[in-house]
Amino acid sequence: MAAATAAAEEVLQHMGPVPRVEETNNAAAAEELGGDDEEILRFMDSADGYLLLMDSLSSALRQGWLDLASARHSMGASRVSSTLFDHKEQSAATKLQVVYPADLQASESNPHFSLSKWCLQEESNSSDIVSAQDSATAKLRYRGSAATPDSSNGSDARTAESSTGVDVNSQVQKARSKALSVFGALVSPKLRTAQVSFETALELIVELANARSAILSSFSQINREA
Amino acid sequence: MAGRSNIPANNSALIAIIADEDTVTGFLMAGVGNVDLRKKTNYLLVDNKTTVKQIEDAFKEFTAREDIAIVLISQYIANMIRFLVDSYNKPIPAILEIPSKDHPYDPASDSVLSRVKYLFSADSVASDRR
Repeated sequence: MAAATAAAEEVLQHMGPVPRVEETNNAAAAEELGGDDEEILRFMDSADGYLLLMDSLSSALRQGWLDLASARHSMGASRVSSTLFDHKEQSAATKLQVVYPADLQASESNPHFSLSKWCLQEESNSSDIVSAQDSATAKLRYRGSAATPDSSNGSDARTAESSTGVDVNSQVQKARSKALSVFGALVSPKLRTAQVSFETALELIVELANARSAILSSFSQINREA
Repeated sequence: MAGRSNIPANNSALIAIIADEDTVTGFLMAGVGNVDLRKKTNYLLVDNKTTVKQIEDAFKEFTAREDIAIVLISQYIANMIRFLVDSYNKPIPAILEIPSKDHPYDPASDSVLSRVKYLFSADSVASDRR
């Protein structure tokens, strides 16, 4: 038993390369293997994907922390702090949608997660009237900002340039600046890049959750067959 | 997505976070922060004053809430309540251990990848018997 756990430790230390070796043999061996082995291969593939995604998540988070530290350096530690969090009642702008596969029971299913950033998916599901109204208000807003050229900043100019998808872009920009408003009206550009990095991290987290779901599903399948 | 249907879709589920200040700040900037009517938040900021009991309580609360689909927890914090994290095996909310600034990700202590360890140890036991 001690030898077995020692072997397991060794496997875990080299966990990265192990699934890749299995993967390269996948095509040749798949024809000969039974359902059980296919399930194990699927499990190892999921584990490999999970580790790769975790690497990407680490990079995205590192970038986010670096940008946050830069913003804190330029704005001051008191202006980028957890004490500024808004404790008033508020709803999350970025949420998840969970979908269960149709062919499995709810108790043993592997749920699929998808991200709805800044509540865009919900709004895109609504009728076209809303988007038409938004585009009309967006045009009015540009006319207003053109009248006062001194007050226009870089982000306004950028959104004005992209005429297609103006309503979606302006909604995202509005939601992003609302999320940063707790740190003051004028925030460091580094804070905005940190925000984008953490958004990327969120996307990776949703993919990780799906990979986790696949791992657990394969694992329970293997256990059932064994 | 072809094989999937929207049967019991939980619309607009939340992401909960148990992490250090910078990680929580970053994810709140990305729009995941939620405060309900009772002033309950979906995040716990862990610093050197936070006790293990508080972390345990937050973990239990987040995993029991029906409106939360993913619980993010920094791996070094998960190590403090490892017995709770390892014993959790429900599909929803999904527990994800993430790296933190001072503690890089270690696959060996991830509760999900412990399944790989288990599988290989079982295989090696079987091969020993042969």
